[in-house]
Amino acid sequence: MHESMILMLPILVPVMTGLLLLCMPAVKNRKVLIGITAAGLIVTAALVFFVLFQEADSFTFFYLTKSLPVYFKIDGIGRIFVTVVTIVWLSGGAFAFEYMKHETDEKRYFGFYLIVYGILVALDFSGNIITFYLFYEMMTLLSMPLVLHTRSREAVMAGLKYMLYSFCGAYMVLYGVYFLFRFSNTLTFTAGGVLNQELIAGREQFLLFVVFLMILGFGVKAGMFPMHGWLPTAHPVAPAPASAVLSGIIVKSGVLGVIRTVYYLFGADFIRGTWVQTTWIWLTLFTVFMGSMLAYREKLLKKRLAYSTVSQVSYILFGLSMLDQTAMTGSLLHVICHAFIKCTLFLCAGAIIYKTGKTRVDELAGIGKEMPALLWCYTIVSLALIGIPPTGGFVSKWYLATGALRTKLPIVSWFGPLVLLVSALLTAGYLLPVTIQGFFPGKAFDYTHLKKKEPNLTMLLPVIVLTVLAVLVGMFPSVVTDYIVNHISGLF
Amino acid sequence: MQPMMMFIVVLIPFLTGIAIPLIPFSKRGHMMAFLEGLVLLNSALVFSLLMHRPEESFAIVKFTGDLTLSFRIDGMSMVFGGLVAALWPLATLYSFEYMKHEKNERIFFMFYTITYGVTLGIAFAEDLVTMYFFYELLTLVTVPLVMHTLTREAILASRKYLYYSLGGAAFGFIGMIFIIVYSNSPDFVLGGSLDLTKIGWRTDILLLVYVLAFLGFGVKAAVCPFNSWLPDAGVAPTPVTALLHAVAVVKAGAFAIIRLTYYCFGVEFLRGTWAQTVVMAIVIFTIVYGCSRAVKETHIKRRLAFSTISNLSYILFGVTIMTPLGMVGALSHMVFHAVMKICSFFCAGAIMYKTGRSYVHQLDGFGRRMPRVFGIFTVSALALMGVPGLCGFISKWNLAAAAVASDNPLAFAGIGALLISALLTAIYMLSIVIRTFFPAKDFDYETIADVEDPNWYMLLPLSIFVAAIIGFGLYSAPIVEFFTKIADGVY
Repeated sequence: MHESMILMLPILVPVMTGLLLLCMPAVKNRKVLIGITAAGLIVTAALVFFVLFQEADSFTFFYLTKSLPVYFKIDGIGRIFVTVVTIVWLSGGAFAFEYMKHETDEKRYFGFYLIVYGILVALDFSGNIITFYLFYEMMTLLSMPLVLHTRSREAVMAGLKYMLYSFCGAYMVLYGVYFLFRFSNTLTFTAGGVLNQELIAGREQFLLFVVFLMILGFGVKAGMFPMHGWLPTAHPVAPAPASAVLSGIIVKSGVLGVIRTVYYLFGADFIRGTWVQTTWIWLTLFTVFMGSMLAYREKLLKKRLAYSTVSQVSYILFGLSMLDQTAMTGSLLHVICHAFIKCTLFLCAGAIIYKTGKTRVDELAGIGKEMPALLWCYTIVSLALIGIPPTGGFVSKWYLATGALRTKLPIVSWFGPLVLLVSALLTAGYLLPVTIQGFFPGKAFDYTHLKKKEPNLTMLLPVIVLTVLAVLVGMFPSVVTDYIVNHISGLF
Repeated sequence: MQPMMMFIVVLIPFLTGIAIPLIPFSKRGHMMAFLEGLVLLNSALVFSLLMHRPEESFAIVKFTGDLTLSFRIDGMSMVFGGLVAALWPLATLYSFEYMKHEKNERIFFMFYTITYGVTLGIAFAEDLVTMYFFYELLTLVTVPLVMHTLTREAILASRKYLYYSLGGAAFGFIGMIFIIVYSNSPDFVLGGSLDLTKIGWRTDILLLVYVLAFLGFGVKAAVCPFNSWLPDAGVAPTPVTALLHAVAVVKAGAFAIIRLTYYCFGVEFLRGTWAQTVVMAIVIFTIVYGCSRAVKETHIKRRLAFSTISNLSYILFGVTIMTPLGMVGALSHMVFHAVMKICSFFCAGAIMYKTGRSYVHQLDGFGRRMPRVFGIFTVSALALMGVPGLCGFISKWNLAAAAVASDNPLAFAGIGALLISALLTAIYMLSIVIRTFFPAKDFDYETIADVEDPNWYMLLPLSIFVAAIIGFGLYSAPIVEFFTKIADGVY
């Protein structure tokens, strides 16, 4: 038994627990189900943090073929992502204990929920592109049951759409991997890239095409234009806690893929100043604006939040496309903030559905009187997403904008921050009406039929914890940014 | 081992097959035991033959001069022969259960078993003449299998199958004549046996002959536009569709093309010529075409048949890369696709046998009633898509790696075709999986209360296949190494 084998535990434990839930015969007592799930989540989270502080940080699991090892390595980026995943996953899980009461097939839900957790940990620990790709595909397949959970026709169709878009992206990535295998020294993620300069001589243009394809491919998961179409369809139809983790976490694996591709396989210098960078920047900027605009026009709350995800994740991609250290710091910070914020927003939407059954924004007048604590959380994270100090969103956008200005790229270095600002205005425009109507429904509003509907603590606590975290990141950003800067300075 | 053994293993299935309708078995069980016993024995003989293969060849008949029917085992024979010998006993076991609901099963088993011998004949053929002989024979002995149900549809399908195959073989024949005339010896030699001094100015003619022969043998490998017999032949009982039209017959086509390309014309002669471009373009088109048609089909067996068309062209894509690596890719997909496709076909057969339903939209909710069959079906679907960890990924990886290494722009496009096809595979396979495991919300499980998993005759082969899919997916190093040695001419 190898000592570094311990790295496998936070991956295997949730997967096994999930499989156990799926294969287990139906139980009468709901508490058993919840108990197993909770135990699985908590043990995994403990294992994750335990592993993060271990000395051994790499482990070769086995070899797919002679030259393709399934290899895990924990690095700075992986640590950041896995921490975020764990926090959000625990919150979403706790919330679901109450929320899933009004859905059927809870066993299946929790089973897949746990399995996907394990897969995500594996994804964040992946040390080479093959391992990453392996878990990336698994994640798509295993998170699909979460999307089509309700089994309505709409949900099943959305699940199929999700899967097809994701596979389309994954295969674009795979096309690139085939070529990387030939033209690189190794497929292991290495800061600064792995391209073999001798082999690629004369083939730069083709490889630029390949890297563009890979960015687009991972961009599918991250909801980047032109392959964003699945996101507003798939995220809202899932049960609310599933939408929360899909929107908060799963889309980020696309971001992680882009980071790994650009900074750890091809190297930032390879695409700096090329048509790939330019096209990529413009795509992200367009997505930022388009997502906000579509969210602004959308009436269904969950769908509005999904469009908001499209826009916000492209903030992250915009920062990455700048190929600049400050901008990338902003991106990683936004990964953290957006995960907390978007998860909270979806959980709020879920709590509202659970308690009142209301799904449309214009139905929510007076909701603040009925569930004040919830709406306060909603408001605070909304402000954070808009980017108002002292919340996390402000700091991340600050870094994104200054990073963009620092690059001195023609046009985009000032146009980019401008788009971000406009989008922030739109964000205020699509998030705050809920608050305003919720707390101030107007004179004509009939207050008499309002009832106290505050959700119970199981639902409220995850929301509050995430809200506090989103604010704390903004109040003490240096803790996080120092860590980030430490780990990414080698990439430039 | 005695060289004679090569002839004996071909002969045993023949004799067994002929004996089945003649021996008056008192019980069905006796026939089953007799047949399975002999098939197993034969497979055991084949494997011991492959382990200790005789160096020299064995001539059965001498027609004139160079024209002989003779056997010799080289690396390629080992792959194809081993594949067939591994699958046949399992498929036979499966057929015992499946054929319960069909008539005239003795006739069926007769031809089914004879086909085993014929396929081994193709695998062990030492030269083009012998291969051609068994190739024609294969068409003839499988026609009754396609025709088996004797419905009008089946008769039409078998007629079509016959015409296509014979027509194709005729083109193969042209190739054979040219090889005999312009080569030093008609035997298969890795690297080709053409004599360039004899060819002289006739290079282009020979390239044309290669393309014709490729298409001719390609009929059995269902290359577009000669593919339409394959989905039609799906009217045959499922063991035939699964073993013959996903493995033995169609892979005999692919096998013949490998022989033609690598062992007769030789890749040195073909690589970089217009002939390579033409055949590769055809193959790439077929890859995408087959999958697109599969998406459209709603009959589950026809859908799988179109999937086979596409996957056979994966193999041929590897062949047309015309490098040793390409051959490795082709061989790995030949073996791995066999396992994956026979597995999914057997699942389809189990569904048809247990429930009589054969259209995709009739399968709602079956996943919960037939968990084993659909669990296995899901694995085979994922493998066909090329999910890492399953064997489909390995063979696609080898194909793509070969294509990248070949530096041929058309092959780069071919990788794109492979991936488009993988996406389409996801559509046509996973739409079945989702439907069966996640039926509509208001679905009433009472309506399919009588649906259940089949018995072990069917489940055992399925379990073995699924174990192979996962096993090869996780640990493929030895077998791929073996293929590499074959492509490098070590064996």
